[in-house]
Amino acid sequence: MRYVFGLLLVLFFAATLSAAQSIGTVKTLTGSAFVERQGEVVELEVGAPLQVADRVVTRADGSLGLILQDDTTVSLGPDSELLLRAFVFEPKQNRFSMILKMLKGTFLYVSGVIGKLAPDSIELETPDSTIAVRGTRVLIKVSN
Amino acid sequence: MGAAPLVLFAVFVAGILLDSGQQSEVVLLPDADGSVGKVEVVTEKGVALLEEAGQMTVVSGASAPSAPVIVSREDIEQKYAQVLAVEPEAPARFLLYFEQGSTNLTSASEGLLTQIVNEVAERNANSLGIYGHSDRTGSDEYNLRLSLQRAEAVRDLLQERGVDVKAIDLDSHGEGNPLIPTADGVAEPRNRRVEVIVR
Repeated sequence: MRYVFGLLLVLFFAATLSAAQSIGTVKTLTGSAFVERQGEVVELEVGAPLQVADRVVTRADGSLGLILQDDTTVSLGPDSELLLRAFVFEPKQNRFSMILKMLKGTFLYVSGVIGKLAPDSIELETPDSTIAVRGTRVLIKVSN
Repeated sequence: MGAAPLVLFAVFVAGILLDSGQQSEVVLLPDADGSVGKVEVVTEKGVALLEEAGQMTVVSGASAPSAPVIVSREDIEQKYAQVLAVEPEAPARFLLYFEQGSTNLTSASEGLLTQIVNEVAERNANSLGIYGHSDRTGSDEYNLRLSLQRAEAVRDLLQERGVDVKAIDLDSHGEGNPLIPTADGVAEPRNRRVEVIVR
């Protein structure tokens, strides 16, 4: 019984570790920005890793560019919020998924490898629309 | 008090409610190489297709997306100046090839190592991708193993030359991410490569 419990504990930590994998990094930053991760606020700097479920927020003086593992880039203007809802890039298993939610502000999205290999697995969402992309550069502005 | 002011007031309130709705704008830009992709904007009420550079559609509240209109480059650059200014430089890509069945670089590819080292320094790279790829001959297992060993060999060579980037994503993609798509079993030397991406 103790072994079973130990095994469960190991499995639990393995699952947590894989969930916390880095899916990209902050590449450019002016002013200030933070990420909301599991209820905590983490200030961002150039090179900071990003994870699935992160809510990336720029302040009124902030803007930043991030780059994901498949070379997709997303830039955020001031006062913007982006939710990294899902990201799977496993060419070996032919598994791809990317769901980005633009909650408010201005964005520049530039397709990466997933856009080339599996464009149908990409979903860009704004509060009132979904945007399907075919290998491209798009500007998006969401105002309340 | 007559009915007219009440009606006016109701219209006023309705106006505020409608006006406070969300609005999204989507603008299609040309890719870095000048080609233009496609974008489809979908709401519950309808769809707009953007397929020309500079085309824009607007979604207000739950409405259908507006018919696409062309926005001038000046307007785009002004309105989106701040977000355009922080766009990350496109990653630099290098392809390294190997002698058949081995982890020895071809002499042409060996010369590329210095270029990669310089690129890392120039753009102050904070992330490297090193991905082994194979063609579709031989067993999947053999291809995965060989392309992983090749990726590791490239990482070691770069580190020996002083590359010190903490985030190195090293993997073997096997047959799954070909440069030249082929049927299974086809030998394609251009797919037997290690791709180095400097971000």
